[in-house]
Amino acid sequence: MRLPTKEKGLWLVPLAIALLLWEFIAWYVIRDPLILPRFSTVIFSIYILRELVIPDILTSLLHFGIGLALAFSAALPLAIGMGWFRNVFKAIDPIIEILRPIPPLAWIPVAILWIGLTHSAAGFIIFIGAFFPILIDSYTGFRDVPKVLVETGKVLGCIGDKKLIKYVAFPYALPSIATGTRVGMGVGWMCVVAAEMFGVGNYGLGFRLFQDFYFLHQMDYVIAYMLILGLVALCVDRVFRYFVEEKLLKWKKGIVK
Amino acid sequence: MNHKLELRNVTKTFNTEGGEMEALEDINLEVKPNEFLCIIGPSGCGKTTLLRLIAGLDYPNSGEIILDGKEVIGPSPDRGMVFQEFSLFPWRTVLKNVEFGLKIRGMKDKARREIAEKYIELVGLREFENCYPYELSGGMKQRVAIARALATEPAILLMDEPFGSVDAQTRNILQEELLEIWKRTKKTVLFVTHSVDEAVYLADRVAVMSARPGCLVKCLGIDIPRPRKRTSMEVNEFREKLLMLLSLERSKACIKP
Ligand SMILES: Nc1ncnc2c1ncn2[C@@H]1O[C@H](COP(=O)(O)OP(=O)(O)OP(=O)(O)O)[C@@H](O)[C@H]1O
Ligand SMILES: [Mg+2]
Repeated sequence: MRLPTKEKGLWLVPLAIALLLWEFIAWYVIRDPLILPRFSTVIFSIYILRELVIPDILTSLLHFGIGLALAFSAALPLAIGMGWFRNVFKAIDPIIEILRPIPPLAWIPVAILWIGLTHSAAGFIIFIGAFFPILIDSYTGFRDVPKVLVETGKVLGCIGDKKLIKYVAFPYALPSIATGTRVGMGVGWMCVVAAEMFGVGNYGLGFRLFQDFYFLHQMDYVIAYMLILGLVALCVDRVFRYFVEEKLLKWKKGIVK
Repeated sequence: MNHKLELRNVTKTFNTEGGEMEALEDINLEVKPNEFLCIIGPSGCGKTTLLRLIAGLDYPNSGEIILDGKEVIGPSPDRGMVFQEFSLFPWRTVLKNVEFGLKIRGMKDKARREIAEKYIELVGLREFENCYPYELSGGMKQRVAIARALATEPAILLMDEPFGSVDAQTRNILQEELLEIWKRTKKTVLFVTHSVDEAVYLADRVAVMSARPGCLVKCLGIDIPRPRKRTSMEVNEFREKLLMLLSLERSKACIKP
């Protein structure tokens, strides 16, 4: 994101307007904190809940981390196989296409039965959510390596699949892997709330949302946690983009932007 | 046996949806060491196919290709190739692109950097060695591709219309540079083009091909001393001769069913 300096603060104005509008509507139009608490009340709730917020975020990030690490380390080798070897693709693609449309939430009973009420069970649901986007984007990257680059590799001494994958296909596929991972992170984060809903522990943003606040009809707490869910995801995405796009994919600049 | 490269009765057919397509028919060709051979012919006559066979990227259906007394069985860095389309690795800087073949060979950082810089200097891109391909113009990209092909010190250089996508002036400059490099490095060069001017300016010998099926019609030695003047009488005579040959082939091809 390289905006000219003049436009750098552009996003601030609409954001401020939206928040003011929220405050105003909640206060003067709705007038019922059980339906829509005011923005200022929500901010204050975050302050009240400060003892809980940090452990909840960390627990959710733990679940997220488990799921994403699993998804990435399972999807990448599979993507290399499916993208590079036509036969592997033909053999495995039907299985993938049957499993892919099953919503991650449908795996919850399976996760509980297989793994029990543990952090890993929550991680498993996130794994299901993140796995397919990472896999599909990554194998597309490996599959679409231009023939001329592969042949250039061969002519310059890359004999055998191992070298070609390492020196030609993998670097070529890296942007697709990054995109897939980013999409996978998005889907995975959406699964966090559901994954914690069934009580794998006593902490977690999703856990808190459903087990504590919802039943107490604490709308201000609920919305506070919703905002935190959004903000944490935003930060994670920004950090990822910074490291991957600015550092790893410098060479892409001319092509994309 | 003082031939660098020898093609004996080489044929190549492609299996396409419409049946068998005879791309090359009974090609016989001998190339001397340090010779600059241009291959000229109409689009689709099999020039690229011929170079790919010599590079070892594809296999003839019959006949044999013999390089330095040994039959060609696969790609190898002793035959450098410059492809018709852009073939730089976009994720590598100019320097890293040129170093590629040496890296694959397992050469140490410092040694390969030294060699790469020498060839970058040779193609006149010293200031651009840390640029990514997207920052280069088409002609510059092809020069990098040439430097990269030279860096592994191949005995023979296969060039497939390397200047096809650059403007006339740049093309002239690149031709001069190439002759300079050729003189300095004493390579055997097979240079595909469909420009008569280019062939007459560059070649020791021009091989004329005709289409459907692709075959060698005639080899024409050009014994004008270098540097040649593009507009001199002798050059024009050869140009005339070549054009006659080519148009004769074209009219023959039209009569064929
Ligand atoms: N992989 C392939 N499969 C089927 N047919 C092919 C294949 N490669 C080339 N051909 C056919 O072989 C013929 C020769 O192709 P080739 O690319 O060698 O032509 P060319 O002389 O290099 O043409 P140009 O000057 O346009 O580059 C063409 O008719 C083409 O359609
Ligand atoms: Mg061609």
